[in-house]
Amino acid sequence: MENSKDKTVKDLAPLRDIKSSPELCMSCGTCSAGCPITGQDGFDPRKIVGMVIEGRDQELVESNLPWLCTMCAKCEHACPMGINITGIVRTIRGLVDRDKVPGMIHKGVELCLETGNNIGLPSEDFDFIIEDVGEEVAEEEGYEEFAAPIDKENANILHTLHNKLVNTQNEDLVHWWKIFHAADESFTIPSENWEGVNWGLFSGDDESMKTVVGRIVEHMEKLKVKNLMYPE
Amino acid sequence: MATRSGLERWFPEFFDKYNAYTVFDLMKSYIEDGRIKLDKEMFTQRIAYHDPCNYGRKSEEKFGYGYYEEPRWILDQFAPNWVDLFPSKANGYCCGGGGGTMLTPFKEVRSHYGKKKIEQIKRVEPELIVVPCHSCHGQIQSSLSEAEMDIPVKYLWEVVADALIV
Repeated sequence: MENSKDKTVKDLAPLRDIKSSPELCMSCGTCSAGCPITGQDGFDPRKIVGMVIEGRDQELVESNLPWLCTMCAKCEHACPMGINITGIVRTIRGLVDRDKVPGMIHKGVELCLETGNNIGLPSEDFDFIIEDVGEEVAEEEGYEEFAAPIDKENANILHTLHNKLVNTQNEDLVHWWKIFHAADESFTIPSENWEGVNWGLFSGDDESMKTVVGRIVEHMEKLKVKNLMYPE
Repeated sequence: MATRSGLERWFPEFFDKYNAYTVFDLMKSYIEDGRIKLDKEMFTQRIAYHDPCNYGRKSEEKFGYGYYEEPRWILDQFAPNWVDLFPSKANGYCCGGGGGTMLTPFKEVRSHYGKKKIEQIKRVEPELIVVPCHSCHGQIQSSLSEAEMDIPVKYLWEVVADALIV
């Protein structure tokens, strides 16, 4: 299995390293025209870039604007000056006091750092759910031999999990397990730090993001796994 | 996307020791190598495929490669009647569930993104919507329910798992 297609010039040629400062903005408004929420609650990507140029950081940090944006990048995909608008939004998010980050994003990051998953699920509950859902799969025709492999060493694939599958959507845990089983693939699920989703990406928190990515590297080493399946 | 960019940024030596695969790489290789067989009669209904921003436009920008063709190739192998939303791929619209917005209290704005996606969905009149992203899955389900539309949403790996011949 190749990780990427056979390499062509297009693959090998380095990408342009655009260092496009917000100051290059020409106020053309292409970003705002493309953004699906321009005009909602005062949201306007061109205005955000403009405020950044004017140094109105504090206003942005105290506003809801960085949290209304999904960082979908439709704006910057169209920006003729190549300004990294989602980078601006994520940077603003990172400057917000952690206790003022709205909703569950930072709370999930804190829980992940403390407990190894974004919902703070205790490990005995995790083990129970994985085993229980694994047994349900084994009751289906064609999957009689299936058992969910936790902390199995020397597997081919490391399989981390999206917290919502272990939380409210247990029925969706089974799809990849069935595919792995049918493909006769050897995989393993870590019993600790099994979280596959890294909310530091959303909260603009590089330090936590790095810690959570580092746990994936630790699993690979500790469980002697050969390959990683990207969690998201 | 978080994991890949984090590995590239902070643990570049990871790639000297290990390979890393996306969900698409794995499904595609299992099909290509004949390791899984899919029932071609099971998903004959009209399916709309939605491109998540992270696997498409954002991967293209961040890693120089967007996963546009792989999911479509996978559907081609067993679901003959899938269609694209318009616009799609790099020009697609966010469903509204990206960037952690599902975890914030700003429901009205999220619902506004959702309406745009619903307009796109209505135009192709699908019987099933397929997505390869947990956030898109939840957000599109919630937008459909707000619009009182009864169309199931499934993960790409879910339809593959459902179609497995074992």
